Amino acid sequence: MIDDPIAALLSRIAAQDRAAFRSIYSDTSAKLMGVLLRILGSRAEAEDALQEVFTRVWLRAGRFDAAKGRGMTWLIALARNHAIDRLRARHDHAGDSDEMETVADPSPRAETRLIASGEARRISECFDTLETDKAAALRGAYLSGQSYLDLAARFDVPLNTMRTWLRRSLQKLKECMDT
Amino acid sequence: MTHTPEEDDLLAAEYVLGALDLAERSAAEARIRLDHIFAARVIEWQNRLAGLNDDYAEAPAPNLLPKIEARLFPQSAKPRRAWLSGLIGLVASTAAAFGILVFLWLQPPAPSMTASLTADASALRYEASIAGDQLTLTRTGGAAADAGKDYELWIIAGDAAPVSLGVLTAETVTIAAPKAESGFTLAITLEAKGGSPTGAPQGPIVAAGKLAKI
Repeated sequence: MIDDPIAALLSRIAAQDRAAFRSIYSDTSAKLMGVLLRILGSRAEAEDALQEVFTRVWLRAGRFDAAKGRGMTWLIALARNHAIDRLRARHDHAGDSDEMETVADPSPRAETRLIASGEARRISECFDTLETDKAAALRGAYLSGQSYLDLAARFDVPLNTMRTWLRRSLQKLKECMDT
Repeated sequence: MTHTPEEDDLLAAEYVLGALDLAERSAAEARIRLDHIFAARVIEWQNRLAGLNDDYAEAPAPNLLPKIEARLFPQSAKPRRAWLSGLIGLVASTAAAFGILVFLWLQPPAPSMTASLTADASALRYEASIAGDQLTLTRTGGAAADAGKDYELWIIAGDAAPVSLGVLTAETVTIAAPKAESGFTLAITLEAKGGSPTGAPQGPIVAAGKLAKI
């Protein structure tokens, strides 16, 4: 694996290295807090979720495989999955849509900010091949954890239409990125 | 139930995208645990969409490390660990002289922690042991979960939320051991088939016990 300091920390954590655990917290907690805050919309809940996420980092570091991806990608997936599970559980209990305001995708200009890494440039180019609405819906789902139900309401289309849109868009995205 | 590779790939994509509802997410998570080909598709999609992660802005995080460490590493464990690593160091240096002997001694690893998972009002009983990087759980009393239900195993560090270790699909299961400390709780809940749909326990606890070093 080429130069992946987070992956190196994760393998030390898998061997119960507490110093590595402290390093990974200081190196990645701001980014993971950003993920949790974007999806959950509330600082108090995001902080609670951050504790859970790092508890899982310690308990699950042994499952990370550096041959299959970057350390930061694994950490962000862990944080996103936890946050989305919380969001869905919350919707189940509290009916719908009140929280949607706080998690709605705030940045139609997001494409222009995707310039940092080669990886990001590539996906940005592939997003440009999608229709604007569909690209925005994909982004809302990925970045803010919006469900098909949320997105159908936001774009005022039936649920099944939204699902078909996004499934086709994901297929197009895959074709674009794999070539 | 059969799935075409195309359908599986789309489901993996939808799971990573995050647009599925709770029931669909939990079904996908159950498949990740049971189906390594599906799990590999999920990782491919995580990598494919990872470029979007640049769009998450950093946000100042408070230093929650002391709280997290207090959960994960109970105070009492510290001196013993220092003592233990000293002992391991001593054994290791002796091992240089008796390499072959130690090789035999290390294979297979002896259990380092065990727990008995029981409940007051039922005969259900599981024995858990952690040896090396494996956790083995065996049902020694009571019955399997009813049809349409599954037992799900959780590990709980202090007052942290339970973390799922998976669904118990057989009388004896061996899984990758979590990083555990003495005093952590193992608990089994009765869940819908395939495990809890939320990632947190939904059903009643049917057996529980604390891990202890041996």
